[in-house]
Amino acid sequence: MAALFLDFRIALLSVFEHRRRALFLGTAVACVTTMLVLLNGLSNGIRSTLVDTATTLSTGHLNVGGFYKVTSGQAGAVVTEYEKVREIALKALPEADFTVERGRGWGKVVSDQASMQAGISGVDIRREGSFKKVLRIASGNIDELGEPRTILIFQTQAKKLKVKVGDAITISAQTTRGTANTIDCRIVAIAEDVGLLSSWNVFISNESLRALYQLRSDVTGAIQIHVKPAYVNKLAPLAGRLRNALEQAGYRLMEPDARAFWMKFDSVTREDWTGQKLDVTTWEDELSFMMWTLNALNGLSFVLMIILIAIVVTGIMNTMWITIRERTREIGTLRAIGMQRGGVVRMFLWESFLLGSLGALGGGIAGAGIAGALNAAKIHVPFSVQLFLMTDTLHLAVAPAALFKAVLLIAVVTAAAALYPALRAARLKPVDAMSHFG
Amino acid sequence: MKAIVSIENATKDYRLGKVVVNALRGVSIDVARGEFLSIAGPSGSGKTTLLTLIGCVDTPTTGTVEVAGRDTAKLSERELTSLRLNTIGFIFQSFNLVGVLDVFRNVELPLLLQRSLSAGERSKRVLSLLERVGLMEHVRHRPNELSGGQRQRVAIARALVTRPELVLADEPTANLDSVTGQNILDLRKELNRSEHSTFIFSTHDARVMSHASQIVRLADGKLAEGISTGPTVSELHEVSSAKA
Repeated sequence: MAALFLDFRIALLSVFEHRRRALFLGTAVACVTTMLVLLNGLSNGIRSTLVDTATTLSTGHLNVGGFYKVTSGQAGAVVTEYEKVREIALKALPEADFTVERGRGWGKVVSDQASMQAGISGVDIRREGSFKKVLRIASGNIDELGEPRTILIFQTQAKKLKVKVGDAITISAQTTRGTANTIDCRIVAIAEDVGLLSSWNVFISNESLRALYQLRSDVTGAIQIHVKPAYVNKLAPLAGRLRNALEQAGYRLMEPDARAFWMKFDSVTREDWTGQKLDVTTWEDELSFMMWTLNALNGLSFVLMIILIAIVVTGIMNTMWITIRERTREIGTLRAIGMQRGGVVRMFLWESFLLGSLGALGGGIAGAGIAGALNAAKIHVPFSVQLFLMTDTLHLAVAPAALFKAVLLIAVVTAAAALYPALRAARLKPVDAMSHFG
Repeated sequence: MKAIVSIENATKDYRLGKVVVNALRGVSIDVARGEFLSIAGPSGSGKTTLLTLIGCVDTPTTGTVEVAGRDTAKLSERELTSLRLNTIGFIFQSFNLVGVLDVFRNVELPLLLQRSLSAGERSKRVLSLLERVGLMEHVRHRPNELSGGQRQRVAIARALVTRPELVLADEPTANLDSVTGQNILDLRKELNRSEHSTFIFSTHDARVMSHASQIVRLADGKLAEGISTGPTVSELHEVSSAKA
């Protein structure tokens, strides 16, 4: 076994022998890894915040929504006889954790002094415990949202409407039959803003929403299906299975369309059909209008990662060239004694891998530590950034698996960077290498 | 007895820019197993080049070099390396030790590459050789902690540790005091007796030549005086002066 690790031992001792150079390069690798971990943590943090917030406030991991058209030109975002639909969904998806029904609407919110257009979501606050965890209530009592004719709005909206808890506001909307209807609601809670979602959404009880849209009790806006954590990143096959199950049960389904339900009104009203059509979407579909921020951040992270890796590769290659130049006679001697070319290659790859992996490990630990410190510091982000983060504080999510991947990536890249110099070293003729001076 | 080294009309040319240097010009030698051949000659005569050809670290430009019955020009790089590892022990003029390894590991190196002995067997053999060359108290020292003579003894131990059929040495006693030099020659004699190893030394040292069974003299890349069986009168005179 010791023989197998001869080249490893020489590499390890060489790293130790040239510890000043190793320390310098290792630190550079560590810095790059730290930046990679932080970038990754930021990207994952935004994604997880987005998923957590959005899947609580406005979408499930999967949604069964749809449109009901009384006439071909008049569409309502509703699901009729939703209990039956929910049963089919739960039967088709053992991966489902729980479901909630959420009313969907769009109307005008009017106070004594101002008005605004808003998405109107119906919520059953008694059944949605996580709803209360995601929202931070600035004033009022969220539990009162269970009472009829109550409303929860956000701070920016309250400012715009110039209202406070206890004030009455009127919601005006068009029913599925095309007639205008209004209800008066009492403001029971004002929540702190949670980014873009809070800028155009208000919450009322499901009963109030049904009253506004004059809907029966077996009608809702959408069934939001929350899957078990293990399946959050495997939604596409689940959506396909759900779609098949609904079709087999006799429901008409809309073609898959990766957009939020409210972006589909125009196209749906132009289509020539009446009655109910169901629409199966994922949370990414419902937040497609916001996903560009995440994609842009991922793109930026990727570009930065490539630049950082290029720096590491250049550094490692230069160091390996210097090392090989310094140790040419040693290479010649080892080859003359009987070390095969493969042994020389492995020796330099080990050396580079050791440098890279130790540096990356240090950088990974530092990155995780910095991310933890930043999270603990609860750094407030500007309002414009809050819109996309859906939170007012910076959150970096450094998952152990992502950390491991970053460390492994850097370690493998550093080893790979040494491959060409190592191959060149192995190809040196022993007689030439031994007579090398320099 | 069958020759372990058979060189037939070997030439070696080096190109230095536009100039071609004829380092060897048609050398033919046969060395029988168990012999002790000394290659003598002034600097630049081609001694080291001849050793590199015999040691399979280089191949001739023309002619043939057979080592242990194998034509080195016809072997792949891998086969040449394997032949060096399993058949030949090298003692380099400038020691060529691996700086990051201690004395024990430097000597153990060829055994590790061979992968044929257990750790215990390796250790036993290495320590036994280090004892023979008088380096037991330096087992864990690194080469840069040793004197020139001590380094040369490490190089000798490393060359002998695999008990090779053929031991090549480039000026092996040049950096040794007379006592250590004599120890090395005694060790050579013992190995020659026990393992029937063949020794080919390039040397200026008349004392070494006095032990040789054959002496090859090179001048300008050619055999100068053919093959003689012992040192010249002047070389013997040098030996007696040294002993006095």
